[in-house]
Amino acid sequence: MLISRRRLLRYCLLSAGALGLGPGEGWLLRRLLANPSGPSVIWLIGSACTGCSISFLNRISDVAGEPATVTDVLADSLNVLFHPTLMGSAGETAAATLERVRDEGNFILMLEGAVPTRFGGHACVVYQRNGRAVTYQEAVQDLTARASKTLCVGTCAAFGGISAAGSNPTGAMGVGQLTGRPVISLSGCPVNPDWVVWAVVQLLLGREIELDEDRRPMALYNRDLGGGAAEPILHDKCPRNPGLHGTPVAVSFGEDGHCLENLGCRGPHTKARCDGCWNGIAGNVAGQPHAGRWCIGVNAPCHGCVEKTFPGLQSFFEPYVP
Amino acid sequence: MPVFTAAIDPVTRIEGHLKVEVKVETVGGVQQVVDAFSTGTLFRGFETILEQRDPRDAPLITSRICGVCPTAHGMAAALLLDRAFGVEGDTPARTNGRLLRNLVHGACYIESAILHFYLLSLPDFVAPLPMAPWIPAWNPGRRLDSGTAAQYAEHYKAAVGARRDAHEMAAVFGGRLPHSPGYIVGGFTAVPSAEDIAAFGAHLEALIGFTGSVYVPDAERLASLFAEYGRLGKGYGALLAFGTFELDNSAQPALLFRRGRLPAGGGTALDVDTSRVAEQVRHSWYVEPGADLPPAQGTTKPQHPKAGAYSWLKAPRYEGVPYEAGPLARMTVNGDYQGGVSVMDRHVARARETLKIARAMRQWLAQLVPGQPAYTHRPVPATAQAEGLTEAPRGALGHWIEVRDGRIAKYQIITPTCWNLSPRDRNGQRGPLEQALVGTPVANIDQPIEVLRVIHSFDPCLDCATHVTRLE
Repeated sequence: MLISRRRLLRYCLLSAGALGLGPGEGWLLRRLLANPSGPSVIWLIGSACTGCSISFLNRISDVAGEPATVTDVLADSLNVLFHPTLMGSAGETAAATLERVRDEGNFILMLEGAVPTRFGGHACVVYQRNGRAVTYQEAVQDLTARASKTLCVGTCAAFGGISAAGSNPTGAMGVGQLTGRPVISLSGCPVNPDWVVWAVVQLLLGREIELDEDRRPMALYNRDLGGGAAEPILHDKCPRNPGLHGTPVAVSFGEDGHCLENLGCRGPHTKARCDGCWNGIAGNVAGQPHAGRWCIGVNAPCHGCVEKTFPGLQSFFEPYVP
Repeated sequence: MPVFTAAIDPVTRIEGHLKVEVKVETVGGVQQVVDAFSTGTLFRGFETILEQRDPRDAPLITSRICGVCPTAHGMAAALLLDRAFGVEGDTPARTNGRLLRNLVHGACYIESAILHFYLLSLPDFVAPLPMAPWIPAWNPGRRLDSGTAAQYAEHYKAAVGARRDAHEMAAVFGGRLPHSPGYIVGGFTAVPSAEDIAAFGAHLEALIGFTGSVYVPDAERLASLFAEYGRLGKGYGALLAFGTFELDNSAQPALLFRRGRLPAGGGTALDVDTSRVAEQVRHSWYVEPGADLPPAQGTTKPQHPKAGAYSWLKAPRYEGVPYEAGPLARMTVNGDYQGGVSVMDRHVARARETLKIARAMRQWLAQLVPGQPAYTHRPVPATAQAEGLTEAPRGALGHWIEVRDGRIAKYQIITPTCWNLSPRDRNGQRGPLEQALVGTPVANIDQPIEVLRVIHSFDPCLDCATHVTRLE
């Protein structure tokens, strides 16, 4: 995993408010992150596009004005023992590592991708052991039963998402729907890396994460950036909200800075903290100007990618009717 | 001599799910691969998601095929829709739209190439960092002295930051990466400001610096340190490029990388006529249609299990011939690379191409007009058929659409990894990777790292390759 404990700590302290850390908890976090025998992590990818892994790599170690090179990012890494896109080993060696961690138990499971159930699960085979193909479906059932916590990273793992859209030819579904187990869902297409870091920190701190009815953390999807109780409907806090800011409503693309509601924006029906930032500087909190970027900032409507209803059948370019 | 069979499943450090099975035998005193089978182990049935949708949704939906090459799909779909909707003309809006598409796509090329060389490929040659997830690892040997190995490890860490920075650059105009919402029919959503242009330019100069002074030298040095891989992994040697990066607003624009193909044996580049492309499924888990069909008419019906089949990938062929796609194909067809076809030629061509693209981006950025919208409006057509050809970082990419009653009636996609990692075709011809693996020496049958080196040189993206089938 490409997160140094030092970087993670620095990031967490910088954004303590956004992460919900109280004063005095920094030392606890520091101790936990310094512990090399922290919980093992298995990151498994199913019916997905690898975009959530890529998004995750986009976030940490990002401080304004620094050179692009990250010299200490790999020091004291988190204990991620299996990640198919990053790991050194392959084949039987990789499969053996996964099964060893599984058998030892007490690991955090991070799942990216929906679970295809048709063709006996063979629309997605994740590894082979002793000549036998193990499907993602089988691995998910097995691993979620043994993991200390399961994080569903992205909308596919959380709800089925794009993988389960349309006529859903592979019978794909979210991990919670398949297993009925108490997963923690971090939706988004892709997931915002900030939210993943938040959830990992909560687990390291041994905190219970309060979840909404879709098993998403209340703090990420149902509160504002400062942790307040106001529902974070994107439209309600959008800097282009006509009611709040008198912004003109766009009738066509290319109208810079206008409200995008008539062009298909799902912001009025989407609860997320995308206003926190994407591809930018970690540690943004409410009230600060955007150092990072987001869809609406480039005149692109919100497509509601964090919601259970994504992508749905409606056009992304017509006014959205939930 | 005994024949060993080794299955690598999963093949890691790629995008998506791949199994490769090799038969290894000692021939002429050298233990080597004598046969290979490439198996895509994921099927998503992606195009059905598009059917009956608003055609304008295509760039947004298809970008979700791949988190590593999302803008390639966004670009292919946007180009295709421009034709279907009749977006044309030499206007300031079309110029800014073309430039913004190229700049965000170019940023993703830089991101993808750095990711591929350092994070995905380098651990096959240099001892990975001494911590999980880089250990345990297959032994890459001790070819490099400790100073060289340490420098590669340092550059690996720098590359982690550089690739992230490339996505941050793309997000200046793209809003968010991966899965930028910026690619739309008629142009691009962003209206560039002078501040945006300056921010993008600062990232770009840093990345040109990294690519020119770190990445290209690292790739060339690896090629000299592992000189035998300048001869290994050739395969058929036939190269195909659809071309990309439009340089003007005409109907047949000049391209930074031209369209063309070079049959095995070289010569001059020949034209590409996509009606001569057909996907075969004799050894794929699909019902075989009665006749070969060009991509615009291609159909697929899954059939698993199926006797003789071993992959979810189909086997695209050009007039029945397997072609390799990718940076080496683009650079060679374009006359920018005069090497051979091998593992190291692929790495070096990819690195030099990255620098060429990054320098071209500098010019495109300078041509952007601040404050000029990049969108041309056209209504959704009732009926249309169109083709969108471009290049993903890992090779030729084609989208095909049929619109009826203002909705998507049919959508077809052929990705580069379908070309490169295809299984055998009806005539028993191996796919390009399978062919490239034959003859690869293998020292340790339990850890055939030489096989991984050949596989990774193609930069496989199984996420793309196995999402692109259409159900009847």
